[in-house]
Amino acid sequence: MSTVADPVADPVRYAREAIEHCYAQGWTDGLPVVPATAADVEEFLATTDLAPDAVVGEQGHLHRRVTVAQVAVNAIMAGCRPEYFPVVLAAWEALQGEPAAGGGAWQSTSGPAPLLVVNGPVRDRLGINYAGGVFGPGFRANATISRALGLVVRNGFGIKPQELEQATQGLPGRWSICLGENEELSPWEPLSVLGGLEAGTDAVSAMLIRTCEYVDNRHTESAESVLFDFADTLGRLGAYLGVRHSTGGLVLGPEHAQTLADAGYSRADVQQWLFEHAVRSRADVRAAGKAEPGSDPDDDTPLAMMPSPEDITVVVAGAANAAISMVFRPFGWASWSRRSVPVRWTTQEEHP
Amino acid sequence: MFDTIIDPTVGPPADADRGRTALAVRPADLAGKRLGLLANTKRNAGAFLEEVAGLLESRYGAKAVITRTKPSIVHPAPPEIIEDLKGECDVVVVGVGDCGSCSASAVADGLQLEAAGIPSVVLVSDAFRVSADAMAALQGTPGYSYVTTPHPVASLTREGVHGRAEQALPELVALLTGHGDDA
Repeated sequence: MSTVADPVADPVRYAREAIEHCYAQGWTDGLPVVPATAADVEEFLATTDLAPDAVVGEQGHLHRRVTVAQVAVNAIMAGCRPEYFPVVLAAWEALQGEPAAGGGAWQSTSGPAPLLVVNGPVRDRLGINYAGGVFGPGFRANATISRALGLVVRNGFGIKPQELEQATQGLPGRWSICLGENEELSPWEPLSVLGGLEAGTDAVSAMLIRTCEYVDNRHTESAESVLFDFADTLGRLGAYLGVRHSTGGLVLGPEHAQTLADAGYSRADVQQWLFEHAVRSRADVRAAGKAEPGSDPDDDTPLAMMPSPEDITVVVAGAANAAISMVFRPFGWASWSRRSVPVRWTTQEEHP
Repeated sequence: MFDTIIDPTVGPPADADRGRTALAVRPADLAGKRLGLLANTKRNAGAFLEEVAGLLESRYGAKAVITRTKPSIVHPAPPEIIEDLKGECDVVVVGVGDCGSCSASAVADGLQLEAAGIPSVVLVSDAFRVSADAMAALQGTPGYSYVTTPHPVASLTREGVHGRAEQALPELVALLTGHGDDA
């Protein structure tokens, strides 16, 4: 056993004290943060052409705005490396661009989390995981890029749990869901192409979700059987908010994606099939106490549980070692804006 | 010792603190006063305000003249709605703050109506006191008084809503007529 050293004798002891200082200020999400100094901030700012005082986020109703420099401070605290910073900025921009994120999501009882999807060569350059264990943990870039956004919301917007943030339960993994898309094993174009960018572009797409639910289906070769299983989870009544549709999306494991593609399904075909089959009877909806007020108690026409085929976002990520996929549930009535944000590297340097 | 650690909460320098919102001058009573209702779209919010209006008319002689529903449950009411209310009402009831963001925005609405010179009262479900108080503080007016009703509101029947309106009425009238606590 080592002897406890005085900080003067062992400067490493200062590290813990500095971390404790950050806790005492209320700056952390519960996990230790890396204390940021001006020199660290300079290093991060050198990776972007954006001005340090440029405003990149606003919650008008709270009179709070955040700057590039402030995002840098929080990215450092989250444990990011400087070269992650352009991805953090793109992720933040993508998130700000989602209508749901401007609409009180951070204060909501539903307590949603960002789901970030990274496309392009940047995944390999920064070690952003897109294969086994893609929902984490264990990969620094995935873990810290998503965490940085949470610290910006907490420290930049001043929205803290049990204060302005009123999540009833929240969800496991809030501020830690950042996936690379497994473009190499996806039979379809990258998500960022649906988001308006050219294939091969380094890009981040963001959604707000309330949870993920696995679909384990590894004993059939039938594409329709697998789709039926997805539709069942998508049509779950608990996610239906009543009056208006909730929505849902899929992070397909590569094996499921391949099964569907082998059977001739494009991504749009998958969306269409799921839209048509994710239905419930109105009797079921009534039984759950979620019928629209004043609706006909004898009406038993089927009710589509998804708002449209296009709203069922389909991403491919994970390892090709089992036929497992994840259904995710976007927040509120929103889906994805279908706008991906390119990662902007500095003009001096094409990329790290 | 840790002076060189950067404070992550410091935003743009222009975002200075806001001053305290002074409350509008209260009428002595509500007889003949034109009542406005500012509803959000939370389940039972409109019904709650209707029940309150009915009671204020039958028992206090107020006259409900205008109801405005906010386009966004999250954000404070837009200027045109505040202008409408300002033009046609002597007093306004705002509600119901019954979710994370709408409890805060209802308080912001109460404060912007006061700033426009209209005595107002905000209804908040008691589960969201912390959020409502945090918004009042953020708006520069910590300690702002509003009326709470027990949570939940969304699952109540109309009769249940009526009972809640009855319960809330004395405090609501007190805050509108200046016989409640000063904010």
